[in-house]
Amino acid sequence: MSITSLPFLALVAGGLVLYYLCPKGGRWVVLLALSCVFYLSGGWGAGCYLLFTALTTWAAGLALGRLNAALDALPAGEGRRAAARGPERGKRLTVLFVLLANFGLLYAVKYWDFTASLAGGLGLTLPTLDLLVPLGLSFYTFQAVGYVIDTYRGKVEPEKNPLKYLLFVSFFPQMTQGPIGRYGELAPQLLRGNGFSWENCRAGLTDILAGLLKKLVLADRAGVVVSAVIDHYTEYSGSVIAFAVLLYCLQIYCDFSGGIDLVRGVARLYGVELAENFRRPFFATSVADFWRRWHISLGTWMKDYVFYPLSLSRPFLKLGKFTRRRVGGRLGKLIPSALATFVVYLIIGFWHGAQWKYVAFGIWNGTIISLSQLLKPTFSAWRARLDRLGESGLYHAFEVLRTFLLVFIGRYLARGIGFMAAVNMLLATVFRFTPSDLWNGTLMGLGLAGIDYWVLLIGTIILFVIETIQEKQGSLAAFLDRRPAVLQWLVVMAGLLCLLYFGIFREGYIASQFIYQQY
Amino acid sequence: MTDMEKLQRIFTQICPDADADSDSLVDDELIDSLDLVSLVAEIMDEFGVKIAVDDITPENFNSLDAMLALIRRLK
Repeated sequence: MSITSLPFLALVAGGLVLYYLCPKGGRWVVLLALSCVFYLSGGWGAGCYLLFTALTTWAAGLALGRLNAALDALPAGEGRRAAARGPERGKRLTVLFVLLANFGLLYAVKYWDFTASLAGGLGLTLPTLDLLVPLGLSFYTFQAVGYVIDTYRGKVEPEKNPLKYLLFVSFFPQMTQGPIGRYGELAPQLLRGNGFSWENCRAGLTDILAGLLKKLVLADRAGVVVSAVIDHYTEYSGSVIAFAVLLYCLQIYCDFSGGIDLVRGVARLYGVELAENFRRPFFATSVADFWRRWHISLGTWMKDYVFYPLSLSRPFLKLGKFTRRRVGGRLGKLIPSALATFVVYLIIGFWHGAQWKYVAFGIWNGTIISLSQLLKPTFSAWRARLDRLGESGLYHAFEVLRTFLLVFIGRYLARGIGFMAAVNMLLATVFRFTPSDLWNGTLMGLGLAGIDYWVLLIGTIILFVIETIQEKQGSLAAFLDRRPAVLQWLVVMAGLLCLLYFGIFREGYIASQFIYQQY
Repeated sequence: MTDMEKLQRIFTQICPDADADSDSLVDDELIDSLDLVSLVAEIMDEFGVKIAVDDITPENFNSLDAMLALIRRLK
């Protein structure tokens, strides 16, 4: 069931009536029922995968809760350390089992066939599994594993009710493409039975409208040119390819953030505030800053559950001591964190899919961020030499444009139909850049009419203005609240009209599924 | 050299651009996670304390005073 479809709208609308009619204590059951209907509409097989993850992580949470209680009950003193060894070992084994079971399943479904093809290249024959990837597999796996690690660390108490826990893992708005929630923040909102609020209603509907506008008016429109060019890149010059990749930057941002706006809006209607997942990434002043603003829930998950534990692990601390002694200086201090960063981005690359282009995407981002960390003092010195210019808006604009260029190059890898295709597209952009192809009519043969390009241009400008307001003033809603009610209504009506005319009832192409739905 | 002077030296080397007098280094994103792990590794080496992942919180790293308080708790 697509989250931009009429059946989904009917599910949300009908669900809202049931939710608010139900007594507060039973409202979580309504959410669970809606989540089951939504998820099983895609097939019972997918439900089995979800149940496996939910059961294993729920059971692990209970086991870890009991072991934590046993540790807390140990008396302080000399014998405590020896007595704690058993429960500590039990905790580690429990987490190891859950990681192997769930990431093993993820690996089998998403990455085994890639391994088999690699083995084939080495002359080994491995059977392929050709398994269908269930909806939201990566997202709910990460969410559930995060719960287990939080229970291991004693940050949350385990949930004893398996159905309440199942709701946390399967809450329907976030199954398509996240955001990846944390148990401590999400579960209370799901289970407490929220009261109706006009503020939640207004905020939710505004987010839904914004999401649909981004997805149906901008992302799907840009996607027509992106597919036409990048899937047949050999037929086009470097300038057209670069234009298509630029549109891809717009497409993927509007598709993903629009989808997130939509699901956050739906959740808000039920009084649930999902985690923020985007914070105006194209205003970033460095690639590291970009990834702190893009897919925030994945980035913070990686930071808390991979980057910190890896960086502070015994092997990395030993590496740090070695590099400080042998290499010395700032470089010697930063090598371990740079290496951990590289590993994280390699994982993020793989998370996107089992293809070499995603590995290259991860390497590109990891290398840029690690290098920029190592070169921080050099950049600071250059900036200091610019005196007031270094503190000016002009320099800030330079940092933003520089970041965008580096991200833009990375998008060749992310969207190219393969690693070599991405490399060839980059080479064509540099060595076969024919500017005249941008105004000699070539663009009119890519599936969009002139009016569509105007919609894209004006839509992008409006999006930029809105995000500039948000970047400087925090919240568009707060900005509009200070304006006359007539203006607020005009903005909403204009948005609705644009959605209807340019999004829902447009001619030509059909809406595509969300890009991140495949991950 | 006092503990605070040692900490200031470490901080300036790892985060040359950040304001050492700020009391919201993490909350205002004046230092990021890369800076934090480098700081933690240096602090552990210099002061002989063990900082766990759970200790890496804004409360413990928002200011040099907070970092020093953490070091003294762990010693």
